[in-house]
Amino acid sequence: MSDVLVARGLVKDYRRGRAVDQVDLTLREGERLALLGPNGAGKTTTLLMCLGVVRPDAGTVEVVGHRLPKGRSAAMAQVGFTAGYLPLPDRIRVSEYLRMYGQLYGVADPVEQAVRGLERFGIPQLAPAMGTELSAGQKTLIGIVKATMHTPRLLVLDEPTASLDPDVAFRVRTGLAVLCEEEGTALLVTSHNMLEVERISERVVFLARGRVVADGPPAEVAASFGQDDLEELFLHLAQDPEVQGVDGRGGHSTETSKGARP
Amino acid sequence: MTTATLRASRSRIGAIAKRHAYVLWRSPHRLFDVTIWPLVDAVLFGSIAVFFARQGGQGGSRTVGYLLAGIVLWHVVYQAQIAVATGFLEETWSRQVLTMLVTPMREWEFVAGVAAFGLIKLVLGVGMVTVAAVGFYAFDPGTLGIWVIPVMLMLLMAGWSVALFVIGLVLRFGNGAEAFAWGILFVVMPLSGVFYPVEALPAVLRPVSLLLPTTHLFAAGRALVDGRGPSWHDLGLAALTTLLVSAAAFAFLVRMLRVFRERGYITRYT
Repeated sequence: MSDVLVARGLVKDYRRGRAVDQVDLTLREGERLALLGPNGAGKTTTLLMCLGVVRPDAGTVEVVGHRLPKGRSAAMAQVGFTAGYLPLPDRIRVSEYLRMYGQLYGVADPVEQAVRGLERFGIPQLAPAMGTELSAGQKTLIGIVKATMHTPRLLVLDEPTASLDPDVAFRVRTGLAVLCEEEGTALLVTSHNMLEVERISERVVFLARGRVVADGPPAEVAASFGQDDLEELFLHLAQDPEVQGVDGRGGHSTETSKGARP
Repeated sequence: MTTATLRASRSRIGAIAKRHAYVLWRSPHRLFDVTIWPLVDAVLFGSIAVFFARQGGQGGSRTVGYLLAGIVLWHVVYQAQIAVATGFLEETWSRQVLTMLVTPMREWEFVAGVAAFGLIKLVLGVGMVTVAAVGFYAFDPGTLGIWVIPVMLMLLMAGWSVALFVIGLVLRFGNGAEAFAWGILFVVMPLSGVFYPVEALPAVLRPVSLLLPTTHLFAAGRALVDGRGPSWHDLGLAALTTLLVSAAAFAFLVRMLRVFRERGYITRYT
């Protein structure tokens, strides 16, 4: 299997300190990986560097063989992205929104793909709705449809199921697992729901103070720290002053926007 | 650039233009900029012109021509600038910047999309001010002749350049800088001598005004109002300064985009 994402030696310094420190991240075709860590650990900055939105101070990122930033446009054609905290735009219908992103992604028949995407997640009835008429969970689902309608090689989901009820979250997980299995799409996901992470991912990378502190299958990673599951491991790492620094909160990071998200 | 790349670019530009058409269509209050505002401007400056013309003295009808031609041409700059600048601001207000950056769309394609849609707003806005000038004051911009076309094209370029500069400021300073989208033209307007020769400006401001392409374009416009035909001197200076200002605005935007990515300012819009 080929590598879909290769990030080497990523470093990012902000005014208040180092947010990401020598992070390596590789993701193979069809692999499902969760990027975890407490608030301020450097997850979002790492994710944004992998997506070419934030420029690393050091290190390199290659997405499907395209080196960023030069190959950004070609790379992003192979990437799907959505975040549970981002809204749908106002004054646009779901069908229009999906068609627009289909065009931006270069989908040959965006109207048909939008219909197919809505059906895949069991929400064809939402096509004529305005973005403002949707519940938070429905907006998240539309975001996932948008991110998958061009069958990306790499799917990046930031807090994707935060607003979903258990039934819809189950359908999303199933839909994503099928996509990864059938299309070979690699999944990179961040979440604060450890149970969710255990169900959706086959590999986890734990970040703390901008560094990778653990990398492997969820059960193995938890066991390597003497913990029963990821939830306990998360609490262990979040409260460990050795890992978190003197203030216990990884307080040097600049991921300030995280705390302000709805 | 291959045919497939060009086709993809055209599709993305069309998608952005259509997205902003939906926004305008479903936000009637946003039609204020292209209907009421041009009408108010035409009535305001047309009535001032008529009032002064009726006071007698030299150049009464010329004053009417200067003011009405000035406001018609000014709306080319205004509508071009406001459409592109608010096109970007719309994406910040609706928190779509991050989502859009994670698509194959290139930055220039986004600007081209909002500029393309902006042309429709420009036609509406300039059309409205022209209709008011003709209907209320019997001023026909058609009498300016064919040389008004290059003047308008360069004013369009100038408006877009100001918009690129504003987008650069918003990228660098965040939405707090959005006041520039509306305010910056009120600095450019008096300096450009939209309604009067720049000799009327305080001496200290004249050197600044000469750096602006709009100054030379409005001077060229007044030459047409006077029936003197194309002023090659003004048109030449206008072309030169338009090129320089456009290049500077483009370079500024590229630099601000780089700063935006280096400093992780995207988190302002998530």
